[in-house]
Amino acid sequence: MKPAAPLLLLLPALVLLPLLLLLPGLVHGGGWDLIGQFLLAAVQPSTDPVVLESLLRGLGVTAGMALLGWCASLLIGITAGLASSRLLWRTLIGHSWPAEGIRRLLAIPRSIHELIWGLLLLQVIGLQPVIAVIAIAIPYGALVARVVSDLLDSLNERNLQALMAAGSAPPAALLTAMGPPLLPGLISYGGYRLECALRSATLLGVFGLGGLGNELLLTLQSLQFHELWSGLWLLLAVMLSLEAVIGALRRRWGMPGRFSLRASGVGRRGRELLLAGLLLLPLVFGVGRALAIEPAALLHWQALPPLAPGGWQDALALPWPALVVNTVLLTLLAAALAVGVAPLLLLLVAPWPWGQRLLQLIWAIGRLWPPPLTALLLLFVLKPGVITAALALGFHNLGILGRLLLEGSEAAGPQRQEALRCSGCGPRLALLYGRFSALARSYLAYGAYRADVILRETVVVGLVAGTGLGSQLNQSLSAFAFDQLLLLLAAYAALTLLGEDLSDRARQRLLQQ
Amino acid sequence: MTHSGPPQSATQTSPVLELCDVTVPGRQQPRLDGIHLRLEAGERVALLGASGAGKSTLLAVANGLLQPTQGEVRWSGERRARSARARRRQQARIGTLWQDLRLIEELSVQQNLNCGRLASWGWPRALLNLLLPLESEACTQALRQVDLDPHLLSQSVGELSGGQRQRVAIARLLRQQPQLLLADEPLASLDPRLAQELLQLLLEQAAAPRALLLSLHRPDLLQGFDRVIGLREGRICWDRPVAQLQASDLDALYAGMAEPGLTR
Repeated sequence: MKPAAPLLLLLPALVLLPLLLLLPGLVHGGGWDLIGQFLLAAVQPSTDPVVLESLLRGLGVTAGMALLGWCASLLIGITAGLASSRLLWRTLIGHSWPAEGIRRLLAIPRSIHELIWGLLLLQVIGLQPVIAVIAIAIPYGALVARVVSDLLDSLNERNLQALMAAGSAPPAALLTAMGPPLLPGLISYGGYRLECALRSATLLGVFGLGGLGNELLLTLQSLQFHELWSGLWLLLAVMLSLEAVIGALRRRWGMPGRFSLRASGVGRRGRELLLAGLLLLPLVFGVGRALAIEPAALLHWQALPPLAPGGWQDALALPWPALVVNTVLLTLLAAALAVGVAPLLLLLVAPWPWGQRLLQLIWAIGRLWPPPLTALLLLFVLKPGVITAALALGFHNLGILGRLLLEGSEAAGPQRQEALRCSGCGPRLALLYGRFSALARSYLAYGAYRADVILRETVVVGLVAGTGLGSQLNQSLSAFAFDQLLLLLAAYAALTLLGEDLSDRARQRLLQQ
Repeated sequence: MTHSGPPQSATQTSPVLELCDVTVPGRQQPRLDGIHLRLEAGERVALLGASGAGKSTLLAVANGLLQPTQGEVRWSGERRARSARARRRQQARIGTLWQDLRLIEELSVQQNLNCGRLASWGWPRALLNLLLPLESEACTQALRQVDLDPHLLSQSVGELSGGQRQRVAIARLLRQQPQLLLADEPLASLDPRLAQELLQLLLEQAAAPRALLLSLHRPDLLQGFDRVIGLREGRICWDRPVAQLQASDLDALYAGMAEPGLTR
């Protein structure tokens, strides 16, 4: 008995059954009127010019931090990605062991969430605008590096071998043979990282690193929901515009050439790319000046408070099994929710075209709405704990996975669904059999990757919803217990690397079947 | 097109398919222009025409995928149903063999055959079919009807040869048990022997009360059909028994030697 592909897609949604059973016990009764006020305020955002000016300023800071962090991460990522490519080292020196070493080193910055980097830098350097930029650049740079090296190593080497056999110097042969095929994938992934950077910059703001996130948190804490929604709608407009522009550029730069073989295509694309790169330079410098970014500030470290005597014993005495189990449970619940609910919702609204539009809007809000704020909102009506945190994290990731599922579903083409509809099949079953069959395995494979990202993100809701390693990390940071902090970071890194390995295996298995 | 409610009591003598003055607009010229067509039970009709003549559009109108801007389509005397449920019942009586087959590669042959029954199944059966493929006996019979080994039932469609896939698509139609069989160039890109075999299979399945409307590129495969309709630029050029077909008819269709629409 082996479930077929479309059924596999629905299996993660089974997590809803225990959640629905447990949720009534978590409701604490108060706060429903606040949730009502929050929802009603969505249609009555504040239009007070003073509020809007403040929000726009915050949005500018967030967008600026995202842009600078993204640029820095691309610089770091491309350099480190090339340095950790097995193909590059094999071509240059005949061995790939330096690549293996650099890959292992890069796993550490990658495994630590940007929020932890931000909070650590805040302790070491003090509140500086540059912190958010660096906090984004470090883990993102390591992530980009992994993707660049994986992309490069998976390319066909025949062209490179042909050039080398013809006597080309290795660096020139590498650049000529591997550069053009690497570029589309790199541009596509780079664009996606800019969207992520905007979300991360908003999140860092929630934790006091400036920008719109900070404004959103303050308006939520002071229950100014009309002002909160003004900020959210502004952020939504910026995020959707950014996604649309990146999508259009991705289609224009990333994919042409495969179907349109006009000679002018490549040259025009190359010129456009170069122009975009050149335009980015003054923009980056302008934004840097506007945000008063001073890279030199990174050199002025503050003295850390001395370690408390017997701190290591206290650190070892932490309830490690419970912390780790709660973190893993939180990851699994949130991942199953995000992966399973997206196809379920699409099936639910399949008969109504407006339902899909509504879902797109809810998912867009889920993507941009930082999970700690969802957790805070949920705490109005639910008790803190793993499930509350999982709901917050699940909602955010549902926004990301839902969009991906919808894109995949559109790319799968309507033919088979149409054929089923023409034979009298209902809209939901036609979607399940006709479209979900084709994308089930690749969607679940992406879900496995997302689970690994969610594990990293548990720290974000853990800080608020009081559960897992994230919650303990917050307490240790507040108490300046750096010995505990070090052990917690090591535990997080080990868990993330293990999760990364497991999700890699799951992904390979899903895609090979 | 009018959308008045379907007459609930379609008579025995109603044609399986009836198109009255059907027009579908196109960018420069209509894709279909004033088409009149009747298909009686047991009739096997071939559609001939050059690429872009309107064959696929006509079939799309006949299976309800496309609604004409002018004219009316009736299936067994009924107009297009208003309610979604009634429309589904109506669609379940129309079976289409697509040129690209539209089989679901990721599912087994048996699960694909059962796709023909999805219209009459509820959610529990449809989901169970994805876990434990249902109705093995009926699926075995459908495979035997198209000369395929029942051992193929558990195989993934992606593992089948081109000829086997064509037969599985026909077997799926048989599982659906439609009254009207539509086929859009099902023999394109097949070798002559396989094309002849599959055509024979389709013709055998189209006995009364069923009817078959099939689009073709090749006039040499017309044996076994009752009528043949020539389409050109969205209009019916001629409509006559296969035995009365003349070489000049084909010239009118493909080479433009005669005025189109003379025998409408």
